[in-house]
Amino acid sequence: MKKSWLKIIAPLFTIALIAAACGGSDSDSGSSSSSKTASSTETEETEATETTEKADEVIESGTEAEGDVDTKVEAVVEKSSYGGNVTIGLEAEATGLRSWEDACSSPCLVIMKSMTDTMVERRADGTYGPWLASFWWANDGYTEWTFELEEGVTFHNGNPFTAQTLVDMFELQKVGAVSAGIISAAKVAEVVAVNDHTVKYILSGAHSAFPAFLYGVGLGGVFDPAAANEDFDGYSMNPIGTGPFMMSSRDLDNETIVVRNPNYWMSDEDGNQLPYLDSVTFRPIPDEGTRLDSLLSGTTNMMQTLRQGTIRDTRDAKEDGADIILLEFQGNNVGGGQYNLNNPPLDDVRVRKGLTQMNNQEAVIEALGGTGISLPGTQWFSPDSPWYSEKAAAAWPKFDFDAGKALIEEYVNDPDRSDGKAVGDKIEVELSCPPDPTLIAAIQVIEQLWSATGMVDVNLTNYDQQTHINYALGAPPDFMGEHGAHCWRWSSNDDPSTFLNTQFAPHTLGVAAAYGLDGIFSPINFFNYFDIEIFGWLVGAIGTDVFEERYALYEMVMMRIARDVPMWYSGHTAMLLATEANIVGVNGWVLPDGSLGAGFPSAVARWGQVFLDN
Amino acid sequence: MGKILTVRLARLIAALFAVSLLTFLLVEQLPGDPVFALLPPEALHDLATIERIRTELQLDDPVLVRYGRWLTDVVQGDLGKSYITDQPVADAIRDRVPVTLELALLATVFAALIGIPLGALCAYREGKRVDKAATGFTTAALSVPSFLVGIFLIWLFTLKFRWLPSSGWARISTKGVVANLKSAALPALSLAFAPLAINARLVRADMIGTLKENYVLSARAKGLRNRYILFRHALRPSSLTALTVLGLQLGALIGGTVVIETLFALPGLGSRLISAIYQRDVMMIQGITLFVAATYVIVNTLVDLLYLLLDPRIRRQ
Repeated sequence: MKKSWLKIIAPLFTIALIAAACGGSDSDSGSSSSSKTASSTETEETEATETTEKADEVIESGTEAEGDVDTKVEAVVEKSSYGGNVTIGLEAEATGLRSWEDACSSPCLVIMKSMTDTMVERRADGTYGPWLASFWWANDGYTEWTFELEEGVTFHNGNPFTAQTLVDMFELQKVGAVSAGIISAAKVAEVVAVNDHTVKYILSGAHSAFPAFLYGVGLGGVFDPAAANEDFDGYSMNPIGTGPFMMSSRDLDNETIVVRNPNYWMSDEDGNQLPYLDSVTFRPIPDEGTRLDSLLSGTTNMMQTLRQGTIRDTRDAKEDGADIILLEFQGNNVGGGQYNLNNPPLDDVRVRKGLTQMNNQEAVIEALGGTGISLPGTQWFSPDSPWYSEKAAAAWPKFDFDAGKALIEEYVNDPDRSDGKAVGDKIEVELSCPPDPTLIAAIQVIEQLWSATGMVDVNLTNYDQQTHINYALGAPPDFMGEHGAHCWRWSSNDDPSTFLNTQFAPHTLGVAAAYGLDGIFSPINFFNYFDIEIFGWLVGAIGTDVFEERYALYEMVMMRIARDVPMWYSGHTAMLLATEANIVGVNGWVLPDGSLGAGFPSAVARWGQVFLDN
Repeated sequence: MGKILTVRLARLIAALFAVSLLTFLLVEQLPGDPVFALLPPEALHDLATIERIRTELQLDDPVLVRYGRWLTDVVQGDLGKSYITDQPVADAIRDRVPVTLELALLATVFAALIGIPLGALCAYREGKRVDKAATGFTTAALSVPSFLVGIFLIWLFTLKFRWLPSSGWARISTKGVVANLKSAALPALSLAFAPLAINARLVRADMIGTLKENYVLSARAKGLRNRYILFRHALRPSSLTALTVLGLQLGALIGGTVVIETLFALPGLGSRLISAIYQRDVMMIQGITLFVAATYVIVNTLVDLLYLLLDPRIRRQ
């Protein structure tokens, strides 16, 4: 291979790749505008990420992202066939498969989605459509959501899936390590079985986008509560769901094999029962190079990566003649770093804006290996997202070294500067990322720029990912965090309410009380930044299901963020599923109503309609 | 012999106690709350969940109380449960030991089978071209890190020739011996390079001296064949050093396969340990560390006992 000798002289990546990049939202719960009424049918081809009329307007007006990499979601045209196995190499092992209890990021979701169905699924246009819930509606105040369930569905052990299942699941989810927080964010107070196939979720407060929470496995992943209660620990190794595949064997850190569920409830449009494949094998292969080599050598048939460097290598391999298909996805998830507003001088907007304006985004993306792969970030939505705002993009402080330096100078010469130092003294900033080589390169670029002013002392630090998270988190009861400028990632293709509301809630109980919001606080407001207007807009956005109203509110949120600059951006996170050319159906699966599914958001494959094109 | 064993056992227990206490205290120093490692960031605003998990795992107790509790359980054969996977630590170790042990054994066997004869040949051909070439090879083998060797072997045997898999482990119980050996070949070879070079050099140095001994000259004078002299008369006394080193290497390999296991995606002790460290899975860290420490001490004890069998001079002492 053209790049083979280069790979041989890059040994340090083998160790460095053990450490993951900044944590962020890898969950794959829902997104898009809400709708009170039942799902509608769509069969046309659409763009890879959400496309509403608004997104079309954005693209048509000339803001189509340069270097847009998303693979188009297209309906399958090949004739399906039964049989065969697909082996996929994943970035990491899923340490637990209890959807309500075990943390599950992108690699884990690839496994979990093979065995666990969710209540709703997302369409290619970003709206939610039927899956185990066939249709739903809300009351006028969005505090009661009623779901009609698919009939004739059974778990892998033969137990029936009914409304009572969801009621029993809720008892476990209320105290689940993962689901309890989601229930709190979604404001679910009670789940009631109206009849065998109708269930009602009663919320303690209005939420117009509630179905978005049933798209994610944390709350929407359906599991057999009887099996979970019978063997809580064992369930982690042998989950019982309604999904197209069932657990066959699980050899942790080596391979997990799932086999066809012969009683799966879903059929294709010709009435052929799904799934098509006999089995799927999941192999955790932490080393990026080995994972790609495994695909190219035929040891595996498919691989997932969340690394830009590996995406580039895979593209190169394809150009060199490898018979593989690349399914690329970018979406809203955006990298960068957060400022801790509790840590002077970062509590001063002049410093934050100045540092951000001195951040050469293109150079940072290049250091990350993302040139031509990763789109520069200006907000929490990618240009393909229906929530993307040109106004917010224009308002974001762009690279302007002199303007940034002037702001820093203004602060440094301010006798009332918040860090308590004398006029003319340099400001001190800790800049921290996990010890990934590309992240280190990126912060070195930023450090050089900031230091070049002669007014900023930058302390570069690296901690393993867990320590990195813990420093940002801090400790109870206030969870203030000790970090300075801290690498991070935010956002997902979920509905904005599923991540924005908790990230911008009051950051301490004291702040909450000061605004009369007693008890409402979020330890994951890592910026320690609270704006009561942002909070009001976010609350307003879940009080209406009119897209234009919600769009306007989220645009104001992004504009305020552009003004107050609690973070800086690098680029949107590119992800990839690479498959052998004969694997079909990862892209182009459909919902039960025939509408085109969302493809492979966050590089998570759905397995029920995958087949081998022989 | 009984006295020797008793002393060795006492040292083993003392070593394990020291290692486990030190590990426990060091892990305690890692920044951050281990509960946060169990939860996704979105769940962290639910303080009730955090407190419930902290209570369930008894993380509120003082560190020495927790260590004492753990030690009491260990003495009764219970290594506890993983904080992350809820799997009993003993089960996790049991599942992974065969992989790491087989890797370490295969690497040691490769290192011995190639390194010892190579060293003997170099000693026999001291100063000749073959000796110089082999010395160059062993220098290179010592200089190149094992993971770099691994990357090269993947390129050669997997991408280029497609003879061997690049990742994964085929367990004998499910995939058979041939598949197992194929999956172990490249990682074991990667691990064997440096020990092979060390063995070759040690044996060479030892045998050069041995070959000049009077009894070797006598054997030559008697007309015995060179190969017989080399492997029957010269290698045995020269092998004691190599034997010691092999034992040390085996012990070190059991604890030192982390990078290779990660590179080849093998479900061994090393890869589980590194995951446990990143995930702050204290019980798993303690269990694996204890196991590795115990193995290392036991292996070295066995090497010492083997000395007694091989060398009558030491037995007489």
